[in-house]
Amino acid sequence: MLIENMKMAFSAIRANKMRSFLTMLGIIIGIGSVISIVSIGDTMRSMFEGLYREIGVTQAYLFIGYWVDDVRQSDYFTLDEMERVKEVFGDQIAYIDSNSHASADAISGRTTVKFAFNGVDYNYQEVQPVNIVYGRYLNEGDVLGRRKNVVMDTTSAMNLFGVENAVGKTFRTTIYGTTEEYTVVGIYRKKLSPFQAMMMGANTEGGEAFLPYTILTWPNDYFYALRIFARDEATMDVFYNNVKAYVAKSKGRQPEDFRLNSAKDEMGQMDSIMGGLAAAVGGIAAISLLVGGIGIMNIMLVSVTERTREIGIRKSLGARTRDIMIQFLTESAILSACGGVVGILLGGGLVMIGGALLGVQAIVKPGVVLLAVGFSAMVGIFFGIYPASKAAKKDPIEALRYE
Amino acid sequence: MGLWNRERTEDLGGSGSGERKWKPDGRPESGDKGQEESGVGTDWAERLQALWKMGLSRSRKLPEYITENVSEELIQLEDLVKVYDTGALKVLGLKRINLTIHRGEFVAIMGQSGSGKSTLMNILGCLDRPSMGHYYLDGVDVAAMNPDELSLIRNRKIGFVFQSFNLISRTSALKNVELPMTYARKGKRFREQRARTLLERVGLGKRAEHMPNELSGGQRQRVAIARALANDPPLLLADEPTGNLDTAASVEIMELFSQLHKEGTTVVVVTHEEEIAAFTERIIRFRDGEIVSDKPNVPREPEQKEAGPNEKGH
Repeated sequence: MLIENMKMAFSAIRANKMRSFLTMLGIIIGIGSVISIVSIGDTMRSMFEGLYREIGVTQAYLFIGYWVDDVRQSDYFTLDEMERVKEVFGDQIAYIDSNSHASADAISGRTTVKFAFNGVDYNYQEVQPVNIVYGRYLNEGDVLGRRKNVVMDTTSAMNLFGVENAVGKTFRTTIYGTTEEYTVVGIYRKKLSPFQAMMMGANTEGGEAFLPYTILTWPNDYFYALRIFARDEATMDVFYNNVKAYVAKSKGRQPEDFRLNSAKDEMGQMDSIMGGLAAAVGGIAAISLLVGGIGIMNIMLVSVTERTREIGIRKSLGARTRDIMIQFLTESAILSACGGVVGILLGGGLVMIGGALLGVQAIVKPGVVLLAVGFSAMVGIFFGIYPASKAAKKDPIEALRYE
Repeated sequence: MGLWNRERTEDLGGSGSGERKWKPDGRPESGDKGQEESGVGTDWAERLQALWKMGLSRSRKLPEYITENVSEELIQLEDLVKVYDTGALKVLGLKRINLTIHRGEFVAIMGQSGSGKSTLMNILGCLDRPSMGHYYLDGVDVAAMNPDELSLIRNRKIGFVFQSFNLISRTSALKNVELPMTYARKGKRFREQRARTLLERVGLGKRAEHMPNELSGGQRQRVAIARALANDPPLLLADEPTGNLDTAASVEIMELFSQLHKEGTTVVVVTHEEEIAAFTERIIRFRDGEIVSDKPNVPREPEQKEAGPNEKGH
C-alpha cells in the first residue's frame, strides 16, 4: 500500500513537472542554503582548528593584565625568574622562552629586506617543528654562546640572497641599536595551505628568521611576557592556573592580576563565534524552508481541488478516509523530500566546489544531510496535513459530480 | 472480531459532529447522545484518535456480513425516505420507497431527470445515506453505518459503472482495475493476475497497459466494468452506463451486462433510455420520488440488435 501510494505520488508529481519543480524550489533553496551554511561553518571551524594545531594548542602567553593600573617593573619578567619557573614546574613545561621579537632591516650586499626576528630557545623546534632542508637548526651552543646565527625559511632566503640554499651566507642588521653580522646556519621550508597563507599573511616580500633568544633578551632585561608550551594538552588548564598562581605569588600579586592568553582559549572563542554565526545564518535560511513548506501546502490545496473527481472515484471504489489522507500526505512528503535531496546535492556540491577552488577540505557532515532530508519530509508532512484532511473529508457524491 | 465489530465501530465513528443525526427516529441510540452535544470542537481530536486506533488494529479479519453472501434478498428497502435540506426549504427526494431486489436479478430503474432515480442510485451505492427508513444490503442495514464502514461495503459488495466512465487518468487500464483490490489490501501478484483476467474477460486483454485517454468510449466503459468486478461484488450498479456511448458501443456494453447477469451477478442499471432498459428482465419506473410501476420484462434477444434506429421513446 505504501509502495502503491509512493508510485501514485511520483506519477502525480511527474504529471505536473513544472509546477512540482517550482514548488520544490522553495525547499531546494531552503535546504540548500541550510546545508551550505552549516557546511561552510564546519569547514571553517576545522580549518581554524588546523591553524591552531599548527601554532600549537598548548601554547600560552602569561603577562600582567592590562586592567592592572599600578604596574610595577617587578610585574615584568627576568631571565632568572624564567629559570625559576622552569625549575619549579620542570617536566610539565615543554618549552619556555622570553617571547622576544625584533623587526629590523637585513642587508646583504645591495639587497635590503625587512625581517621579523623571533628569539627562540634551541628546543623550539620540538614544539614548533620546521622542515629543515639545508644546514641545521639552532643548537644549545648558539643559545648559550649568544652566537649570531639564524635559521630562516626558503622564501626569506630567496628574498635576501636570491638563492634557497643560503647556508653560510651572512647579512648585516641592527638590533637594539647595535649593527652586527649574522650567519645563516639553516634553511627550512614552510608548508602552508592557501587558507593558512590567507590567515597568517603570506610573506612574499619580507623575511623572517629564528635567532637565539639570548641575543634579544639579556640577563638584566625585563620582558613583558612568558611564552610557555605545556607538555600535556589534557592537563594544561590546571597547569597554567598553577603557573599563574606561582608567578603572581612570587610577585606579590593576585592570580587575577595576570592574564593568560592560550591558543586553546582563542580556539574556543573562534569556535563559538563560528558556531553562533552558522546557527544565526542557518536560522535565517530555515525561514526559507518555512516559506517552501507554505508553497507545498498551497500547491497541495490546488491539487486536491483539481483532483476532487479522482477522490470521489477512489472513495466510490472503497477508499477510506485514511487511505485518501495517506495518499496526499505521501505526495506532499515526497514532493518536499525530493526538494530536500536536490537541495542537499546543490548546497553540498557548491560547498565542495568552493572548497576545491580554495584548496581546502570541505566538510559536509552526514548527520546534517540526514537531518535535512528528514526535516524536509517533516515539512512536507506537516504542511500536507491540512490539504490531505481536506481531501479525505470530501463527500463522495459531491466529489463525483465535480467537473 | 476486530475493527469491524459493531461495538468498536460505534466507538470509532461516534464523533460529536452529529454523525448520527440522520438516524431515523425510534431507532435506539447506543448511548452516544451525550457526545452529540459536544459539537464540532472535539471532532478533530476524535478523528485523529480513530485514525490512530485504526492504524493500531491491523486485523484484516472482516466480519461475515462483509465477506459472506448472507441474504437471498440482495437489496431490501423499507420505507426509505430521502429529504434534501436546501436551507430555505426541504425537498423530498424519495417518498417511502419499498423495494426488494433478489440475488441474480437484472433490473432497470427508469425515470426522467428529477424523478429520484439518481438519488436512489446514490443510496443503493452506499454513497449517500437515507434520511429515514432502512436499506438492507445483503441482509445488513447499511443506513446505520459510518463513512468508513460504507467504504468497506462499497469496496466488497458493490461494483460501480458510471456514465462518464470515471477512470483515473494517467493510470493504465490495468492499474485502474487493480484499484479496488488495492483498497481491499490484496497482494500485488494477486491484483495483477486478477486484473488481467478481468480485462481479458471484457475483451481488452491486449490493452491492459493503455492509458484511459488512449481508449475509445466503449473500451473505457469496459475497463470500468472490469474494475467494478474486481472484488467480485454481488451487486453491479450502473448509472446511465451508455449515456456517453454511440449505439453500437451501447449494445456491446449492455450485452456484456446480460452475460454477467447470466453468470450470476445482480445488475441494476439506471437509465432513461427504453432500448437500454429493454435488455433487462425487470423495469422499475420512477416519477417524483415514487415508484409508479414495477414490471417484469422479456429481454431483447441479441440478434435483434441491428433492428431500428436509435429512437429514444417516451
